Amino acid sequence: MTEIIKILIQILFILFIFSFPIALLENNTRSKISAFSLIDKLSINLIFFINILFFASILNINSEYILYPYVILIIFFYFFNFRKFNFKNIKLDYYFLVLLFFIILISIDIAHELYFAWDTQSFWFFKTLNYYQNQKFENLKNLPVFDWPHLGTYIWSFFWKFPFSGYEYFGRIAYAFIYVLSIFSITEILKVSTYQKIIFAIAIISLTYNYELFSGLQEIMVFSLILIASKFAFYFFEKQHKFRLLELTLILLAITNILCWVKNEGLFFIYFLIFCIFITKNLNLKIKTLLIVGSLTIFFIRILVVNYYEINFNAEYFELRETLNFEIFNLFEKIKIISFYLLLYLTQVPIYLLTLPILIYTSFKYKMKDITKFSLFFLILNLFFIYIAFLFKSTETELQIRFSMKRVLFETSGFYFLAIVIFINNYLHSFNQKIFSSFKKRKY
Amino acid sequence: MAKKNKKNISILIIGFLILSFIYNHNFFRKLYNIYVINHESRLAKKYGYCFRESVGFLKMLKKKYKFNFNPLIMNYEDAVPNSGWSIYDNNYKTDNKHKILLNYPKNLSLYFKPLNKIFYSEGTVKHSNGISNIIFKLKNKHIRINSKIKIYRKTLNKKDIIYEENFHKLIKNNQIIPIEFKTKEINSIYKPTYIEISNLSGDQIKKINSITLNLDHEFNLMNFTIIEKFNNCYYVK
Repeated sequence: MTEIIKILIQILFILFIFSFPIALLENNTRSKISAFSLIDKLSINLIFFINILFFASILNINSEYILYPYVILIIFFYFFNFRKFNFKNIKLDYYFLVLLFFIILISIDIAHELYFAWDTQSFWFFKTLNYYQNQKFENLKNLPVFDWPHLGTYIWSFFWKFPFSGYEYFGRIAYAFIYVLSIFSITEILKVSTYQKIIFAIAIISLTYNYELFSGLQEIMVFSLILIASKFAFYFFEKQHKFRLLELTLILLAITNILCWVKNEGLFFIYFLIFCIFITKNLNLKIKTLLIVGSLTIFFIRILVVNYYEINFNAEYFELRETLNFEIFNLFEKIKIISFYLLLYLTQVPIYLLTLPILIYTSFKYKMKDITKFSLFFLILNLFFIYIAFLFKSTETELQIRFSMKRVLFETSGFYFLAIVIFINNYLHSFNQKIFSSFKKRKY
Repeated sequence: MAKKNKKNISILIIGFLILSFIYNHNFFRKLYNIYVINHESRLAKKYGYCFRESVGFLKMLKKKYKFNFNPLIMNYEDAVPNSGWSIYDNNYKTDNKHKILLNYPKNLSLYFKPLNKIFYSEGTVKHSNGISNIIFKLKNKHIRINSKIKIYRKTLNKKDIIYEENFHKLIKNNQIIPIEFKTKEINSIYKPTYIEISNLSGDQIKKINSITLNLDHEFNLMNFTIIEKFNNCYYVK
């Protein structure tokens, strides 16, 4: 019983941490932040907090020194806002309640299943242990795959350590929180009723959820963050300018910084996303400059940290010497292998089966909107990346593909929910009308 | 009225989806298990006490011997990764003198079956120090081989040779033929190993039922003092 209560307290603790700063600082009427929904505010808060954790991790600041001031600030702002709070206006937010309910369900599954994936046992968990056992960034050198990004495991260790310092899976509950939040975030932009949004959210969870994703692998973090980034990218294309582009750009850059330190390919995906916004949306010079300078700064921070801590990329792993020594026969052989497995795994990630046909249908059937172009460009870059990434594995292409292609495909699959959003928000009405009119014609 | 009906239908669908999600993932059973089985027992059940990852055995050792070092952990089970993570402590250094051997087999060997003109091993091996001997299981009493024996792995279409030697012998069924070849290249849990005996006719290949390659242990129990033992799991020094 104690364990179940602890799980519930852990979820409330994560919610408490992610309730700051936006939800508590929204009284400034000049800011357009108030236009964001509760889910958006939680997403922005978690992006903000994870960025703080990132700087704490590379600057070797003890996580306790981050937590205590943060908690004190949150409590202070809760008290500060307490007087303004009108208890009579409290309404049950069913959308949010269902979100919490699913976090609880997935947390129970994590607590029960417990096992780690192969890569977690071999690599990721050692990084988590490093931070849990209060070691510094430098100590990662003594552990496997020092050149792999560490931020996801830092988040795991943080929520493992606080508030209970109990079982390791308490840390992975944070992953469940971010995953469910990201799904409820993307369904929120559908122009349907709240109940229908909930139906879509549950359908997406049912379609994507399996325990393996939470077995300590970092793909779930990339998936969730890409999903959150897609939601904010969608706001760029909204006709009613509810949000300031500056705020959206800063949020996107903050997500870029997180993804840069969660998984190497995460950086590529978010850069593709930013690049696609860049070429499909008519942005003003200020935003364009900010996007370029911000993206480059994030990249240079990475290079700076890599050089400062002398992180050497494992040339043996990437087989650079063999890769640059291409043989035409091998190249064709590899392209053949990659194409075969790509088709195979596309059918094994059910989201693609649903979203890609919708994306292709809307692009050919209707007049193409900027957001559709944006999604199509991302798809092209995504596929291009998969070919290039696996061609780089010189000798073990097939083995590598069988181990990881499905996971790489999963990472960006969340983005393609935008295809459903585009279809429902823009075309479903005319689609229904067409069906209805053809039905009428047949009837008479 | 229509709006209210639509709302009710939506609530019904939500209820149905939630229930089917709970049912599909067996959440009530899982909740009950968390309530009645403690974390340590659940962990040992998932990873095994002295099989698969053998995390139960490792946790017991850590509790009993209160390690102030990280022992060297070798798991002979090739379908799982090393389980060192379960007791690893960043505050201590690794002490190679203290070894934990999990799922230690009496004999290390690879079993090869005929596949067209070559022989193919489905199993893989780790923690071997070299090839000790080779045994041919024949349909007849004996067979003469005057050729070259090659043991290799494949990478795309390239052969990575592990062992290559001339082989001119009259081989009896189940005869132990010593090889004594020191190599660690035979250790790989990712790729199958092949044996090719060149110039062997189809008839001769048909006469060979299987080939067994016996390997040397990298960590021979005879060379260590056993501190703790449970089935095939050993803590040695």
